[in-house]
Amino acid sequence: MTVKIFRWRAIGPLVVLFVIAGVLWWLFADGIARRESQKVGTQMLGAKVEIQSLHLDLANGHVTIRGLTIASPHEPFKNLLQADELVADLDMLPLTEKKIVIDRIVANGLRFGTPRQTDGRVAAKSGEGIAGRVLAETREWASQFQIAVLQLATGKISIDSLDPRRLSTLPAAAALGARADSSRRAWQAAFDTLRLGPTLDSASATLERLRRARATDLATLNEARQAVDRLRRARDRVTMLERGVKTGVADLQAGLAGLDTARRRDYAFARSLLKLPSFDAPAVGAALFAPGAIKPFERVLYYAQLARRYMPPGLLPRATTGPSRVRRAGEDVRFPKERALPRFLLRSAELSFVLHPTSQQPQRYAGRLTGLTSDPTLYGRPALFGASGPQLVVGAMVNHLRDIPVDTGGATVGGITFPAFEVPGLPLRLDPGASTTELGFTLNGDTIHARLAIRSSNVTWTRDSALANTTIGDLIWHTVSGVANLDVEARLSGALHHPDLAVRSNLDQAIASRLRAVLGEQVAAAEKQVRDRVDALINDKVGPVRARVSQVQTQAQEQVAQQRARIDELQKNLEQRLRQLLGGVRLP
Amino acid sequence: MFALIKLIQSLFGALHSEGTPGQLAAGIVLGSFLGLTPLFNLHNAVIFAALVLLNVSFAGGLLGWALFVPLGFLLDPLFDWIGHDLLLAPSLRGLWTSLYNTPIVPLTNFNNTVVLGSLVFALVFAVPLFFAIRWAVARYRVTIGERVRQSRFYRAVTASKVYNVYKMFRP
Repeated sequence: MTVKIFRWRAIGPLVVLFVIAGVLWWLFADGIARRESQKVGTQMLGAKVEIQSLHLDLANGHVTIRGLTIASPHEPFKNLLQADELVADLDMLPLTEKKIVIDRIVANGLRFGTPRQTDGRVAAKSGEGIAGRVLAETREWASQFQIAVLQLATGKISIDSLDPRRLSTLPAAAALGARADSSRRAWQAAFDTLRLGPTLDSASATLERLRRARATDLATLNEARQAVDRLRRARDRVTMLERGVKTGVADLQAGLAGLDTARRRDYAFARSLLKLPSFDAPAVGAALFAPGAIKPFERVLYYAQLARRYMPPGLLPRATTGPSRVRRAGEDVRFPKERALPRFLLRSAELSFVLHPTSQQPQRYAGRLTGLTSDPTLYGRPALFGASGPQLVVGAMVNHLRDIPVDTGGATVGGITFPAFEVPGLPLRLDPGASTTELGFTLNGDTIHARLAIRSSNVTWTRDSALANTTIGDLIWHTVSGVANLDVEARLSGALHHPDLAVRSNLDQAIASRLRAVLGEQVAAAEKQVRDRVDALINDKVGPVRARVSQVQTQAQEQVAQQRARIDELQKNLEQRLRQLLGGVRLP
Repeated sequence: MFALIKLIQSLFGALHSEGTPGQLAAGIVLGSFLGLTPLFNLHNAVIFAALVLLNVSFAGGLLGWALFVPLGFLLDPLFDWIGHDLLLAPSLRGLWTSLYNTPIVPLTNFNNTVVLGSLVFALVFAVPLFFAIRWAVARYRVTIGERVRQSRFYRAVTASKVYNVYKMFRP
């Protein structure tokens, strides 16, 4: 009996099944694409992406998105942007390679920083995915700029407890003491191995015999010459030991100097526990405005780092987290190929947006984005963004064409009203009013240069009622209350992992001099108190160690010098006697 | 509970069907592909079409699918590891790059570590699985198969309505 391989009658139902599946996909394609777009967008940006409606017109290669809302990854109840409508012209052929190539997007009705009802942060809460990791990294990066705020709330300086275990002088002293003991033992052992005693005794006996000998007593003369040779060799050994002792002594003295350094470090540490305000103008500027100034840098860095992850240079395979599903997501590995299309490419986007949408005269702007791609090396040109309009100029370039990526951006925005904020550590509330803001940012490989400047000419100050009657409150209030202009500039430069932050403002000098006048004596007294407490904790340990080191040094040096002198004296006497006996005649 | 009953019915139905042990084994192997690999992928449409079009046990396919789904979940870390090693192997980079840039092929999601790992595992596992099941079914039928067929339990299972639905698809 032959077994049939195919069930020919099943072809019909199978075709019907596939047709039904196709029709269902066609019917629900818009919904599927909308959900997938939301999911992918949310995963990529680390903030909720919501789309009211999405329509796929595959026949004409159009995708229309209406009601796009992208939440801010950093602020819980704020949107990054909203768009009324986006119309994209899709290149259809690359879709067969699962590549998305958009020739042109027209985006209308963009709005930025609008409020929202629910918390739209995703990466900040879950910490998962690329966005979560980048967000955590940038937060960690920003945390290095935690600058102690001015402790002026009551004008008192609090002194925290000083834990001796956190002082570096004590372990350094213990280590130096151990090193001194070890050096002493080593030198004593080295000295013992020289075995100078027998050599010196034998040379002394020979000298005695030589004193009684005559010029013809060749055996004694020969013995004397051998004794001189032995003394020379002994002196060489002593010289070697002396060198070792000198090196060791220098090492111990460096250790003593290290104790002084450690003590200074402990003073600084103890001073930091006091949280004493610095009276230097730059430090005052940093304490006042750095916490606020670092936020824009942190955010720009977040997007720059995201761009580096999603738009890496080169053509090596790249693994990213796979699609979320019931089964394990795994990783999707992309294999870019020369002269092939990138996985994603947006050739051009025309943007029109509105600033101050709620005001009576909303300002309309236009912008353009080109060359946004997942594989910059394949596209061969950097991604460029530019927008301009009344009181606004923005430009950015994401250049990941070469191994060292360069991301630059700059913006000047006028007429932005910043919210009022409490000045850190001061009994004041500052309302900057409508300001002009400039932001410049360059991330070249791992080197960052960034600048943020805020200027306002109608600043309003409000006084904290809790400090209405204090001297400090009065002084600070009198210093700043008449100042209507605010000019703050923050600069960041250096290696990305640890750049230098400098913040200055037009208020720094005035506040610093007032602080110095009021708190100078109090701070000086507190600093002295701190030094005394540190000294009290470490002097008991450091004093004996210093004495021990000194004793070991002196003992070793004296021992070496004494033996060397004895050798030199014996050698000199032997040679002198030999010269007397021989009268300048050299023996064979 | 319903799923369990259905599974038992499928099992008995398949074991006592008129299909040969080879047909049953082939059906289970094809079903194992559906169970071991993530379901919504292009290759599974091909597997499903094969299950319908080829003269293999469809019930065996459903049974294989049901049996291997939990195993698939369980072995996902292994599949991820296999796929990762294969996709990032320098010697295979040329092959993957060509496939990735070939129309239609990327739609199979072969570049996902779990998809590729599970598919390769299922392919390697298919041959021993086929022969093992064919042998086991043959042994079952010549040893205890007839006694089971006469048992009350079997009659109770096969008497249910679900079994009648199943009979529509038996080979």
